[in-house]
Amino acid sequence: MKVLTIALGLTVAATFGSGARADEFTDADLARWQSQFDEVAKEGRRLWTSPEIGTNGVACAQCHPNAANTHPETYPKFQKQAGRVIAFWEMINWCLRNPLQGKQMAADDPRMIALQAYATYERRGVALDPGKH
Amino acid sequence: MTSRRNFIRTAAGVVAANALPMTWVECAFANKAENFTFGYISDSHIQHIKGTEFVRNWDRGLIRAVAETNLLSPKPDFVFFGGDLGQLGMKEELDHGASMLAKLNYKTHMVMGEHDYYLDLGEYWSKLFGPQHYSFDHKGVHFVVLNSILTYDDWTYHRWPTAAQRMQEMAGLDNPNGSPFMVGDTQRKWLAKDLSKVSKDTPLIVLSHSPLQKIYRGWNFWTEDAEQVQALLAPFKNANVLYGHVHQIQYNQVGSIAFNSVMATAWPWPYPQSYAQAASQLPKLTVPMNRADPFFERDATGWQFIDVGTGRVTANYQLYDNKSRTVAFDAATGQPQDVIYQPPTARIPPQTHY
Amino acid sequence: MRWSILMSVALFGAGAVAAPLGLPPVPVPADNAQSPAKVALGDALFHDKRFSSTGTVACSNCHDLAKGLTDSPLVTSEGINKLTGTRNAPTVANAAFNHLQFWDGRSPSLEDQSTHPFVNPVEMGLTSHDPILAIVRADEKYKKQFKDAFNIEAAAITMTQVSQAIAAFERTQIYGDSPFDRYWFGGDKAAMTSQQIRGFDVFLNQGRCVSCHVVEQDNALFTDGRFHNIGAGINRIQGDVPRFVTAFLGAKHAGVDVDVKVLSDPHSSELGRFAIDDQVDSIGAFKTPTLRNVELTAPYFHDGSLKTLREVVVHYNNGGVTKAGDPVNDYLSGGIRPLDLTDAQIDDLVAFMEALTSPALKAAHDAAAAKTASASAQTVSAQTASAN
Repeated sequence: MKVLTIALGLTVAATFGSGARADEFTDADLARWQSQFDEVAKEGRRLWTSPEIGTNGVACAQCHPNAANTHPETYPKFQKQAGRVIAFWEMINWCLRNPLQGKQMAADDPRMIALQAYATYERRGVALDPGKH
Repeated sequence: MTSRRNFIRTAAGVVAANALPMTWVECAFANKAENFTFGYISDSHIQHIKGTEFVRNWDRGLIRAVAETNLLSPKPDFVFFGGDLGQLGMKEELDHGASMLAKLNYKTHMVMGEHDYYLDLGEYWSKLFGPQHYSFDHKGVHFVVLNSILTYDDWTYHRWPTAAQRMQEMAGLDNPNGSPFMVGDTQRKWLAKDLSKVSKDTPLIVLSHSPLQKIYRGWNFWTEDAEQVQALLAPFKNANVLYGHVHQIQYNQVGSIAFNSVMATAWPWPYPQSYAQAASQLPKLTVPMNRADPFFERDATGWQFIDVGTGRVTANYQLYDNKSRTVAFDAATGQPQDVIYQPPTARIPPQTHY
Repeated sequence: MRWSILMSVALFGAGAVAAPLGLPPVPVPADNAQSPAKVALGDALFHDKRFSSTGTVACSNCHDLAKGLTDSPLVTSEGINKLTGTRNAPTVANAAFNHLQFWDGRSPSLEDQSTHPFVNPVEMGLTSHDPILAIVRADEKYKKQFKDAFNIEAAAITMTQVSQAIAAFERTQIYGDSPFDRYWFGGDKAAMTSQQIRGFDVFLNQGRCVSCHVVEQDNALFTDGRFHNIGAGINRIQGDVPRFVTAFLGAKHAGVDVDVKVLSDPHSSELGRFAIDDQVDSIGAFKTPTLRNVELTAPYFHDGSLKTLREVVVHYNNGGVTKAGDPVNDYLSGGIRPLDLTDAQIDDLVAFMEALTSPALKAAHDAAAAKTASASAQTVSAQTASAN
């Protein structure tokens, strides 16, 4: 009897605590999370056009307007310049170190997340094609 | 890769294949006595960092193009510089670029680019190089140089609080705050008057930074009054437009007007169709340049020499780390064609793999 | 080595030869399948000094197994009468993977390449290949070997069979399984030292080496087989390039033998690949050599101008000039630029390159060195004994 009460109690608490069961997200949640992504992508656009992320004033957008010709949909893939199969963020780092003569970023650096968010956003709708050169 | 039409005229008059970049003789329909060549270097984007430091990558591109142009044999009649000498129109950039161009062994004619213009509206550039639009005749061909990167007065004079910001805004190719290029009313009136004195049989070569076509507005591969400018050129039997700005190989035919872009010495740009979120109108004729390996800083950059024969141009693109490309006017089809890669079956993976 | 060749012939047939760890299958042309008889014949031809005008020079003079299949430490190779040319001997080790042979790629195959040195005035010095054919058609041992390898009678032997046998032998000179290979492809984390591991990181990243000295996901040739101007040699003739280019083209169109010209005339030699393909883009460009076994093949660059690996790395670190601050040549490859490596990183990179040596070549080198050392020790003790 006691056990059942506790179990029921927990369920009731869970129901009233979040207003929904697990996995039941609402339109409001979706809108909120989308706008959080949009903010990061916007920051990515700012970094993409900024002369400050390298050391020589060159910006990503100089060679990749609207992040064109970066092909995020093809990663991971073999990358000649790295000598092995790599993920998209590693190629961004190659560009940071080489044409931009700057410092590379960790995969979970908020700036790296933002750059990837922007570049993939500009490529939305294009089918995945991992491994394509 | 060898084209039968590559020749060098040696001292002994012997003809041999695959020699130095040199005058391309279209034996089929050219009157050799009238042929001449000029060199064309464009879009060097010399970029100042601080003090005496410039972006090394772009410096090397211009240095190499100048050195190789000086090797041309037989010598070209002159060289054009196609615009965007500097990146932000700064005095340091124009001076540094001018000092590199000064090493050319030939007379140099200059074309204005937006990266040269929007800081001080071409004031310092004109001090160094002269008028921003002009014309001259050479060996029976009428050359016209346009300043085709102007834009609406409101944007130029009233939109931005400082000249520096105006330059920054125009410098971003994909900047939504940008403004479309144009030749403009004043210059079109000048052009109409200039051309009225030229017989319609005279070959015409128009040098412009913007394409004098409408290719992709988002990146200003665009001339707002393209139709009106083309209308002025249309009456001419052999009108040829050479333009920079796009940093890639493009070519097209509109009526009797042939269009050829030139390469940048600094860096390549993607083709507009590689931007998935917007439609564009890249000329269908164009066989794309090879996609670059960014490790090789000169890959997908280059310079060109232009042959003029019987009123039409052949553009010989001198590319680095790649086979050179030649786009010649084909009399049979009445349009420019790549002499090797035009048929779809002749394409190679670096051209299709975008 | 021989066992693995026989096994690979059984497994792959004549089309390919399996390779040691870190290398892809060895390409074998359809018209020159490998066989033990051919390889043995090629081995004999490769070492035969009679195929020179003075009877003193064989392929192995400049491609000595004890010296990483080069003639290290010679700067440029010595042919008959100690005549020298303009180029440092490239290694035969792993040359079977090259699409083009020679520093300037003027030969399209191992077979073709083998025929050039015989008739070069500063190498074997023969005026034609006839003396070679005269010998192999008359020598009883060769007659039997050609019959075994090609099923051909003595009178019918031509340079085709000679060159095919030499090439077949060279296709067995494959050397991988280095400490790097065992570390990177073999999963042995202890195979390289921690300094070498740091050096590998420099190699892939700040050093920018991997784009030309290719490493791939499951094999590493350490060369892209392409031609690049890295500022070696050409820097010395920078101001004169236009003049030499014109002079060379004039000579070429007047019919000069390019093979002879590039090995005898230093100005032509420095033009590199341009001398072969006449492309402005190739001025001063030379083929990327493999870095495998580079520890054994000093000195370095096409002209042997740099004695040590450290000097080589410093040349790259300077952005394509040997002495920091020297002017960079106008035709420099777009892949070459200053690297800003620290001294420690340079040392690490050198250490990494020392991890690319194959055990078999190292053993041959060390055995020969020990032999020389003990021979000179015996000489010393003999002298000492006679002096007493």
